[in-house]
Amino acid sequence: MKLFDPTTPPAERTVTLAPRLQDLRGLRVGLVENTKFNSEAILARLGERLVREHGVTVSRMIRKRSPSHAVTEEAADALRRISDFIVSGVGD
Amino acid sequence: MRYPNRVMADEGYDPAELIEAYFERGWTDGLPVVPPTEKSIAQMLAGAALRGDEVVGEIPERGVVISAEKLAINAVMAGCRPDYLPVVVAAIRGLCHRDFAYHGPASSTGGSAMVLIVNGPVASRVGINSGNNAFGQGTRANATIGRAVRLVMMNVMNTRPGFLDRAVFGNPGKYSFCFAENETDHPWEPLHVERGYRADESTVTVYASNSLNLVYNQLAAEPEPLLRCVADALCNLGTPNLRGFNQSLLVLAGEHTDVLRQSAWSKRDVRAFVMEHARRTLADLKRAARRPGAVEPGDETTYKFAFERPEDILIVCAGGRAGSWSACLPGWGNKWTRSVTTRVEV
Repeated sequence: MKLFDPTTPPAERTVTLAPRLQDLRGLRVGLVENTKFNSEAILARLGERLVREHGVTVSRMIRKRSPSHAVTEEAADALRRISDFIVSGVGD
Repeated sequence: MRYPNRVMADEGYDPAELIEAYFERGWTDGLPVVPPTEKSIAQMLAGAALRGDEVVGEIPERGVVISAEKLAINAVMAGCRPDYLPVVVAAIRGLCHRDFAYHGPASSTGGSAMVLIVNGPVASRVGINSGNNAFGQGTRANATIGRAVRLVMMNVMNTRPGFLDRAVFGNPGKYSFCFAENETDHPWEPLHVERGYRADESTVTVYASNSLNLVYNQLAAEPEPLLRCVADALCNLGTPNLRGFNQSLLVLAGEHTDVLRQSAWSKRDVRAFVMEHARRTLADLKRAARRPGAVEPGDETTYKFAFERPEDILIVCAGGRAGSWSACLPGWGNKWTRSVTTRVEV
Protein backbone atom coordinates (compact mmCIF):
# COMPACT_ATOMS: atom_id res chain seq x y z
CA MET A 1 0.00 0.00 0.00
CA LYS A 2 1.21 3.52 -0.79
CA LEU A 3 0.45 7.06 0.17
CA PHE A 4 -0.94 8.87 -2.83
CA ASP A 5 -0.32 12.58 -2.88
CA PRO A 6 -3.67 14.29 -3.58
CA THR A 7 -2.16 17.73 -4.06
CA THR A 8 -1.11 19.77 -7.06
CA PRO A 9 0.94 22.91 -6.56
CA PRO A 10 -0.09 25.99 -8.52
CA ALA A 11 1.41 26.10 -12.00
CA GLU A 12 4.59 28.13 -11.90
CA ARG A 13 4.88 31.24 -13.98
CA THR A 14 7.49 33.91 -14.22
CA VAL A 15 6.38 37.39 -13.30
CA THR A 16 8.64 40.24 -14.35
CA LEU A 17 8.32 43.56 -12.62
CA ALA A 18 8.02 46.59 -14.86
CA PRO A 19 11.03 48.91 -14.72
CA ARG A 20 10.68 51.40 -11.89
CA LEU A 21 10.03 54.92 -13.09
CA GLN A 22 12.31 57.67 -11.83
CA ASP A 23 10.13 60.63 -12.80
CA LEU A 24 6.42 60.61 -13.49
CA ARG A 25 6.16 64.09 -14.96
CA GLY A 26 4.53 64.14 -18.37
CA LEU A 27 3.66 60.44 -18.27
CA ARG A 28 0.26 58.87 -18.82
CA VAL A 29 -1.25 56.61 -16.17
CA GLY A 30 -3.89 53.95 -16.80
CA LEU A 31 -6.07 52.80 -13.93
CA VAL A 32 -7.56 49.33 -13.51
CA GLU A 33 -10.62 49.23 -11.31
CA ASN A 34 -11.48 45.79 -9.99
CA THR A 35 -15.13 46.44 -8.95
CA LYS A 36 -14.55 46.04 -5.21
CA PHE A 37 -16.52 48.57 -3.21
CA ASN A 38 -14.79 51.96 -3.25
CA SER A 39 -12.11 50.76 -5.62
CA GLU A 40 -13.30 53.29 -8.18
CA ALA A 41 -13.29 56.11 -5.63
CA ILE A 42 -9.82 55.28 -4.36
CA LEU A 43 -8.34 55.04 -7.83
CA ALA A 44 -10.03 58.25 -8.94
CA ARG A 45 -8.59 60.05 -5.93
CA LEU A 46 -5.18 58.54 -6.59
CA GLY A 47 -5.37 59.67 -10.20
CA GLU A 48 -6.21 63.21 -9.08
CA ARG A 49 -3.19 63.27 -6.79
CA LEU A 50 -0.91 61.95 -9.47
CA VAL A 51 -2.11 64.67 -11.79
CA ARG A 52 -1.83 67.39 -9.18
CA GLU A 53 1.42 66.40 -7.52
CA HIS A 54 3.36 64.61 -10.24
CA GLY A 55 2.20 66.17 -13.48
CA VAL A 56 0.83 62.99 -15.04
CA THR A 57 -2.29 62.65 -17.14
CA VAL A 58 -4.85 59.92 -16.59
CA SER A 59 -5.25 58.08 -19.86
CA ARG A 60 -8.24 55.95 -18.89
CA MET A 61 -9.77 53.96 -16.07
CA ILE A 62 -10.99 50.54 -17.10
CA ARG A 63 -13.21 48.23 -15.08
CA LYS A 64 -12.64 44.52 -14.67
CA ARG A 65 -15.54 42.10 -14.92
CA SER A 66 -15.07 41.18 -11.24
CA PRO A 67 -12.25 41.00 -8.71
CA SER A 68 -11.81 37.33 -9.63
CA HIS A 69 -11.38 37.88 -13.35
CA ALA A 70 -8.16 38.93 -15.00
CA VAL A 71 -8.14 41.96 -17.28
CA THR A 72 -8.87 40.71 -20.77
CA GLU A 73 -6.01 40.71 -23.24
CA GLU A 74 -7.86 43.15 -25.46
CA ALA A 75 -8.44 45.62 -22.65
CA ALA A 76 -4.86 45.26 -21.42
CA ASP A 77 -3.49 45.90 -24.91
CA ALA A 78 -5.71 48.92 -25.41
CA LEU A 79 -4.69 50.41 -22.07
CA ARG A 80 -1.02 49.65 -22.70
CA ARG A 81 -1.12 51.57 -25.98
CA ILE A 82 -2.24 54.80 -24.32
CA SER A 83 -0.41 54.52 -20.98
CA ASP A 84 3.16 54.75 -19.74
CA PHE A 85 2.36 53.06 -16.46
CA ILE A 86 -0.63 51.43 -14.84
CA VAL A 87 -2.04 51.31 -11.35
CA SER A 88 -4.34 48.50 -10.28
CA GLY A 89 -5.84 48.65 -6.84
CA VAL A 90 -8.18 46.96 -4.43
CA GLY A 91 -10.57 48.83 -2.23
CA ASP A 92 -13.23 47.46 0.08
CA MET B 1 5.79 9.51 13.00
CA ARG B 2 6.66 10.69 9.47
CA TYR B 3 5.75 8.81 6.33
CA PRO B 4 7.33 9.37 2.93
CA ASN B 5 4.81 10.26 0.25
CA ARG B 6 5.11 6.98 -1.57
CA VAL B 7 6.24 4.01 0.41
CA MET B 8 5.52 0.37 0.17
CA ALA B 9 3.75 -0.46 3.34
CA ASP B 10 4.78 -3.31 5.53
CA GLU B 11 2.40 -6.14 5.87
CA GLY B 12 1.96 -4.93 9.39
CA TYR B 13 0.84 -1.42 8.45
CA ASP B 14 -2.05 -0.43 10.61
CA PRO B 15 -4.80 1.27 8.53
CA ALA B 16 -5.19 3.78 11.32
CA GLU B 17 -1.54 4.75 10.93
CA LEU B 18 -2.07 5.24 7.21
CA ILE B 19 -5.00 7.51 7.92
CA GLU B 20 -2.81 9.43 10.37
CA ALA B 21 -0.23 9.87 7.62
CA TYR B 22 -2.79 11.75 5.52
CA PHE B 23 -3.66 13.91 8.50
CA GLU B 24 0.00 14.58 9.13
CA ARG B 25 0.46 16.07 5.69
CA GLY B 26 -2.53 18.33 5.89
CA TRP B 27 -4.30 16.49 3.09
CA THR B 28 -7.64 16.03 4.84
CA ASP B 29 -10.58 18.24 5.68
CA GLY B 30 -10.21 17.36 9.34
CA LEU B 31 -12.02 14.06 9.06
CA PRO B 32 -10.33 10.72 8.42
CA VAL B 33 -10.00 9.81 4.76
CA VAL B 34 -10.14 6.52 2.92
CA PRO B 35 -6.53 5.79 1.94
CA PRO B 36 -6.42 5.32 -1.84
CA THR B 37 -4.80 2.37 -3.56
CA GLU B 38 -3.70 1.85 -7.16
CA LYS B 39 -6.80 -0.27 -7.60
CA SER B 40 -9.29 2.12 -6.05
CA ILE B 41 -7.91 5.07 -8.06
CA ALA B 42 -8.18 3.06 -11.29
CA GLN B 43 -11.72 2.03 -10.42
CA MET B 44 -12.61 5.62 -9.63
CA LEU B 45 -11.26 6.85 -12.98
CA ALA B 46 -13.19 4.09 -14.74
CA GLY B 47 -16.35 5.37 -13.09
CA ALA B 48 -16.15 8.45 -15.30
CA ALA B 49 -14.28 6.84 -18.20
CA LEU B 50 -11.32 9.12 -17.60
CA ARG B 51 -7.60 8.64 -18.10
CA GLY B 52 -5.42 9.84 -15.26
CA ASP B 53 -3.60 12.40 -17.40
CA GLU B 54 -6.74 14.10 -18.68
CA VAL B 55 -7.30 17.68 -17.60
CA VAL B 56 -10.69 18.05 -15.96
CA GLY B 57 -10.55 21.78 -15.32
CA GLU B 58 -8.35 24.86 -15.22
CA ILE B 59 -8.46 28.28 -13.62
CA PRO B 60 -5.75 30.36 -15.27
CA GLU B 61 -5.98 33.24 -12.79
CA ARG B 62 -5.01 30.87 -9.97
CA GLY B 63 -2.57 28.70 -11.90
CA VAL B 64 -4.86 25.74 -11.23
CA VAL B 65 -4.85 22.65 -13.40
CA ILE B 66 -6.94 19.72 -12.22
CA SER B 67 -5.94 16.33 -13.55
CA ALA B 68 -8.26 13.37 -13.52
CA GLU B 69 -5.76 11.40 -11.45
CA LYS B 70 -5.75 13.96 -8.63
CA LEU B 71 -9.49 14.24 -8.83
CA ALA B 72 -9.82 10.47 -8.47
CA ILE B 73 -7.39 10.33 -5.54
CA ASN B 74 -9.41 12.96 -3.69
CA ALA B 75 -12.69 11.24 -4.54
CA VAL B 76 -11.41 7.98 -3.11
CA MET B 77 -10.24 9.82 0.00
CA ALA B 78 -13.69 11.37 0.36
CA GLY B 79 -15.33 7.95 0.31
CA CYS B 80 -17.00 8.21 -3.10
CA ARG B 81 -18.11 5.22 -5.09
CA PRO B 82 -16.77 5.22 -8.66
CA ASP B 83 -20.20 5.89 -10.09
CA TYR B 84 -20.26 9.20 -8.20
CA LEU B 85 -17.25 10.52 -10.08
CA PRO B 86 -19.15 11.92 -13.10
CA VAL B 87 -21.07 14.12 -10.67
CA VAL B 88 -17.86 15.30 -9.02
CA VAL B 89 -16.34 16.02 -12.44
CA ALA B 90 -19.35 18.10 -13.49
CA ALA B 91 -19.21 20.04 -10.23
CA ILE B 92 -15.52 20.79 -10.68
CA ARG B 93 -16.12 21.91 -14.25
CA GLY B 94 -18.78 24.24 -12.92
CA LEU B 95 -16.38 25.72 -10.39
CA CYS B 96 -13.87 26.32 -13.19
CA HIS B 97 -16.40 28.08 -15.42
CA ARG B 98 -15.62 31.76 -15.94
CA ASP B 99 -19.08 32.80 -14.84
CA PHE B 100 -18.57 31.14 -11.49
CA ALA B 101 -15.44 33.26 -11.01
CA TYR B 102 -13.98 30.83 -8.49
CA HIS B 103 -11.47 33.04 -6.72
CA GLY B 104 -13.99 35.33 -5.05
CA PRO B 105 -16.45 32.89 -3.50
CA ALA B 106 -13.71 30.39 -2.69
CA SER B 107 -11.38 32.83 -0.96
CA SER B 108 -13.66 35.48 0.49
CA THR B 109 -13.98 36.21 4.18
CA GLY B 110 -17.65 35.26 3.70
CA GLY B 111 -16.64 31.60 3.66
CA SER B 112 -19.05 30.19 1.14
CA ALA B 113 -20.14 26.60 0.94
CA MET B 114 -20.21 25.29 -2.59
CA VAL B 115 -23.77 24.08 -2.85
CA LEU B 116 -24.20 21.28 -5.40
CA ILE B 117 -27.73 20.78 -6.73
CA VAL B 118 -28.03 17.57 -8.72
CA ASN B 119 -30.75 17.11 -11.31
CA GLY B 120 -31.74 14.36 -13.69
CA PRO B 121 -31.56 10.57 -13.67
CA VAL B 122 -28.09 10.37 -12.13
CA ALA B 123 -29.50 11.49 -8.80
CA SER B 124 -31.66 8.44 -8.25
CA ARG B 125 -29.20 6.16 -10.02
CA VAL B 126 -26.42 6.85 -7.51
CA GLY B 127 -28.75 7.56 -4.60
CA ILE B 128 -28.43 11.28 -3.95
CA ASN B 129 -30.97 12.25 -1.33
CA SER B 130 -33.56 14.87 -2.28
CA GLY B 131 -35.94 14.22 0.57
CA ASN B 132 -35.92 14.08 4.33
CA ASN B 133 -32.70 15.59 5.74
CA ALA B 134 -31.41 16.35 2.23
CA PHE B 135 -28.91 18.89 3.58
CA GLY B 136 -27.94 16.72 6.52
CA GLN B 137 -26.11 13.55 7.37
CA GLY B 138 -26.92 9.98 6.55
CA THR B 139 -26.59 9.54 2.78
CA ARG B 140 -23.27 8.46 1.37
CA ALA B 141 -23.65 10.15 -2.02
CA ASN B 142 -24.59 13.53 -0.55
CA ALA B 143 -21.84 13.37 2.04
CA THR B 144 -19.01 12.17 -0.14
CA ILE B 145 -19.65 13.97 -3.44
CA GLY B 146 -19.62 17.33 -1.72
CA ARG B 147 -16.67 16.26 0.36
CA ALA B 148 -14.72 15.22 -2.72
CA VAL B 149 -15.30 18.63 -4.26
CA ARG B 150 -14.06 20.35 -1.11
CA LEU B 151 -10.97 18.10 -0.93
CA VAL B 152 -10.18 18.95 -4.56
CA MET B 153 -10.60 22.61 -3.70
CA MET B 154 -8.15 22.26 -0.83
CA ASN B 155 -5.61 19.91 -2.31
CA VAL B 156 -5.62 20.81 -6.01
CA MET B 157 -7.11 24.29 -6.17
CA ASN B 158 -5.06 25.42 -3.16
CA THR B 159 -8.06 26.73 -1.29
CA ARG B 160 -6.71 26.02 2.16
CA PRO B 161 -7.91 27.67 5.34
CA GLY B 162 -5.66 30.58 6.20
CA PHE B 163 -4.06 30.59 2.76
CA LEU B 164 -6.42 31.14 -0.16
CA ASP B 165 -9.47 30.39 1.97
CA ARG B 166 -9.85 33.47 4.15
CA ALA B 167 -13.23 32.62 5.69
CA VAL B 168 -13.94 34.43 8.93
CA PHE B 169 -16.12 31.59 10.17
CA GLY B 170 -16.61 29.16 7.33
CA ASN B 171 -19.66 27.01 7.83
CA PRO B 172 -20.45 23.31 8.19
CA GLY B 173 -21.55 23.23 4.55
CA LYS B 174 -17.90 23.59 3.62
CA TYR B 175 -17.38 19.93 4.51
CA SER B 176 -20.05 18.93 2.03
CA PHE B 177 -23.23 20.45 0.64
CA CYS B 178 -24.76 18.27 -2.03
CA PHE B 179 -28.38 17.33 -2.59
CA ALA B 180 -30.71 16.40 -5.41
CA GLU B 181 -33.81 18.24 -6.47
CA ASN B 182 -37.06 16.41 -5.80
CA GLU B 183 -38.30 16.14 -9.37
CA THR B 184 -41.13 13.71 -8.72
CA ASP B 185 -43.11 15.87 -6.31
CA HIS B 186 -42.72 19.19 -8.00
CA PRO B 187 -45.24 21.78 -9.15
CA TRP B 188 -42.99 23.12 -11.89
CA GLU B 189 -40.19 22.12 -14.18
CA PRO B 190 -36.96 21.31 -12.34
CA LEU B 191 -33.96 23.60 -12.31
CA HIS B 192 -32.00 21.96 -15.11
CA VAL B 193 -34.98 21.96 -17.49
CA GLU B 194 -35.56 25.60 -16.70
CA ARG B 195 -31.94 26.17 -17.67
CA GLY B 196 -32.30 24.52 -21.04
CA TYR B 197 -31.44 20.89 -20.42
CA ARG B 198 -33.68 17.96 -21.21
CA ALA B 199 -35.42 16.25 -18.32
CA ASP B 200 -33.51 13.04 -19.08
CA GLU B 201 -30.15 14.80 -18.92
CA SER B 202 -28.29 14.99 -15.64
CA THR B 203 -26.68 18.16 -14.34
CA VAL B 204 -24.96 19.68 -11.37
CA THR B 205 -25.53 23.31 -10.49
CA VAL B 206 -22.80 24.90 -8.38
CA TYR B 207 -23.84 27.82 -6.24
CA ALA B 208 -21.85 29.72 -3.61
CA SER B 209 -23.68 30.51 -0.39
CA ASN B 210 -22.34 31.53 2.97
CA SER B 211 -25.46 31.02 5.01
CA LEU B 212 -28.58 28.92 5.39
CA ASN B 213 -31.73 30.53 6.73
CA LEU B 214 -34.57 28.15 7.41
CA VAL B 215 -38.00 29.68 6.94
CA TYR B 216 -40.82 28.42 9.11
CA ASN B 217 -44.48 29.04 8.52
CA GLN B 218 -47.16 26.61 9.60
CA LEU B 219 -50.17 28.87 9.24
CA ALA B 220 -49.80 30.13 5.71
CA ALA B 221 -52.35 28.56 3.41
CA GLU B 222 -51.81 31.06 0.62
CA PRO B 223 -48.60 31.99 -1.19
CA GLU B 224 -48.43 35.61 -0.09
CA PRO B 225 -47.83 35.20 3.67
CA LEU B 226 -45.47 32.31 3.07
CA LEU B 227 -43.43 34.24 0.53
CA ARG B 228 -43.33 37.30 2.75
CA CYS B 229 -41.31 35.16 5.17
CA VAL B 230 -39.06 34.10 2.34
CA ALA B 231 -38.56 37.67 1.15
CA ASP B 232 -37.80 38.80 4.68
CA ALA B 233 -35.18 36.08 5.13
CA LEU B 234 -33.49 37.12 1.90
CA CYS B 235 -33.13 40.79 2.79
CA ASN B 236 -32.31 40.97 6.47
CA LEU B 237 -29.97 43.80 7.26
CA GLY B 238 -26.97 41.54 7.73
CA THR B 239 -27.38 39.81 4.38
CA PRO B 240 -24.40 40.28 2.09
CA ASN B 241 -24.92 41.85 -1.29
CA LEU B 242 -27.97 43.89 -0.41
CA ARG B 243 -27.01 46.35 -3.10
CA GLY B 244 -29.19 44.96 -5.82
CA PHE B 245 -26.89 42.40 -7.33
CA ASN B 246 -27.92 39.43 -5.33
CA GLN B 247 -28.49 35.87 -6.40
CA SER B 248 -30.27 33.64 -3.93
CA LEU B 249 -31.43 30.07 -3.68
CA LEU B 250 -34.88 29.20 -2.39
CA VAL B 251 -35.44 25.54 -1.55
CA LEU B 252 -39.09 24.70 -1.04
CA ALA B 253 -40.05 21.59 0.91
CA GLY B 254 -43.22 19.51 0.81
CA GLU B 255 -45.83 21.45 2.77
CA HIS B 256 -44.78 24.80 1.37
CA THR B 257 -44.62 23.33 -2.10
CA ASP B 258 -48.20 22.20 -1.62
CA VAL B 259 -49.31 25.72 -0.77
CA LEU B 260 -47.86 26.99 -4.02
CA ARG B 261 -49.13 24.06 -6.07
CA GLN B 262 -52.67 24.46 -4.77
CA SER B 263 -52.63 28.15 -5.54
CA ALA B 264 -51.45 27.43 -9.08
CA TRP B 265 -48.70 29.98 -8.75
CA SER B 266 -45.95 29.64 -11.31
CA LYS B 267 -42.26 30.05 -10.64
CA ARG B 268 -42.59 33.37 -12.37
CA ASP B 269 -45.28 34.43 -9.89
CA VAL B 270 -43.13 33.37 -6.96
CA ARG B 271 -40.15 35.29 -8.26
CA ALA B 272 -42.17 38.42 -8.94
CA PHE B 273 -43.61 38.42 -5.44
CA VAL B 274 -40.28 37.79 -3.74
CA MET B 275 -38.60 40.47 -5.85
CA GLU B 276 -41.22 42.99 -4.91
CA HIS B 277 -41.05 42.22 -1.20
CA ALA B 278 -37.34 41.57 -0.68
CA ARG B 279 -36.63 45.22 -0.06
CA ARG B 280 -35.61 47.60 2.69
CA THR B 281 -36.16 51.29 3.08
CA LEU B 282 -33.16 53.50 2.55
CA ALA B 283 -33.70 54.70 6.11
CA ASP B 284 -33.39 51.13 7.42
CA LEU B 285 -30.21 50.62 5.46
CA LYS B 286 -28.70 53.88 6.66
CA ARG B 287 -29.59 53.24 10.30
CA ALA B 288 -27.80 49.92 10.00
CA ALA B 289 -24.84 51.49 8.18
CA ARG B 290 -25.49 49.34 5.15
CA ARG B 291 -25.62 52.60 3.21
CA PRO B 292 -23.59 55.67 4.07
CA GLY B 293 -25.02 58.92 5.31
CA ALA B 294 -27.67 60.19 7.68
CA VAL B 295 -31.35 59.43 7.26
CA GLU B 296 -32.95 62.17 5.21
CA PRO B 297 -36.51 63.12 4.42
CA GLY B 298 -37.92 60.64 1.99
CA ASP B 299 -35.62 57.78 3.04
CA GLU B 300 -38.43 56.13 5.03
CA THR B 301 -40.41 55.67 1.83
CA THR B 302 -37.55 55.04 -0.58
CA TYR B 303 -37.03 51.33 -1.13
CA LYS B 304 -33.94 49.45 -2.19
CA PHE B 305 -34.55 46.02 -3.66
CA ALA B 306 -32.42 42.96 -3.04
CA PHE B 307 -32.88 41.62 -6.57
CA GLU B 308 -32.57 43.24 -9.96
CA ARG B 309 -33.71 40.33 -12.09
CA PRO B 310 -36.20 37.52 -11.49
CA GLU B 311 -33.78 34.88 -12.69
CA ASP B 312 -31.48 35.74 -9.82
CA ILE B 313 -33.88 33.89 -7.54
CA LEU B 314 -33.14 30.19 -8.00
CA ILE B 315 -36.08 27.99 -7.02
CA VAL B 316 -35.60 24.33 -6.21
CA CYS B 317 -37.77 21.72 -4.52
CA ALA B 318 -36.26 19.33 -1.97
CA GLY B 319 -36.62 18.23 1.63
CA GLY B 320 -39.07 16.18 3.61
CA ARG B 321 -42.80 15.93 2.99
CA ALA B 322 -43.81 16.76 6.55
CA GLY B 323 -42.94 19.99 8.31
CA SER B 324 -43.53 23.61 7.47
CA TRP B 325 -40.02 24.52 6.48
CA SER B 326 -38.26 25.91 3.49
CA ALA B 327 -34.74 27.19 3.13
CA CYS B 328 -33.23 30.42 1.89
CA LEU B 329 -29.58 30.51 0.96
CA PRO B 330 -28.36 34.02 0.18
CA GLY B 331 -25.64 33.90 -2.38
CA TRP B 332 -22.43 35.60 -3.18
CA GLY B 333 -23.97 37.98 -5.69
CA ASN B 334 -24.74 37.88 -9.38
CA LYS B 335 -21.95 40.20 -10.40
CA TRP B 336 -18.91 38.57 -8.82
CA THR B 337 -20.10 35.00 -9.22
CA ARG B 338 -23.02 33.26 -10.84
CA SER B 339 -24.39 29.79 -10.32
CA VAL B 340 -23.37 27.48 -13.13
CA THR B 341 -25.15 24.35 -14.37
CA THR B 342 -23.01 21.68 -16.01
CA ARG B 343 -24.07 18.46 -17.68
CA VAL B 344 -23.04 15.18 -16.05
CA GLU B 345 -21.34 13.04 -18.68
CA VAL B 346 -22.38 9.45 -18.05
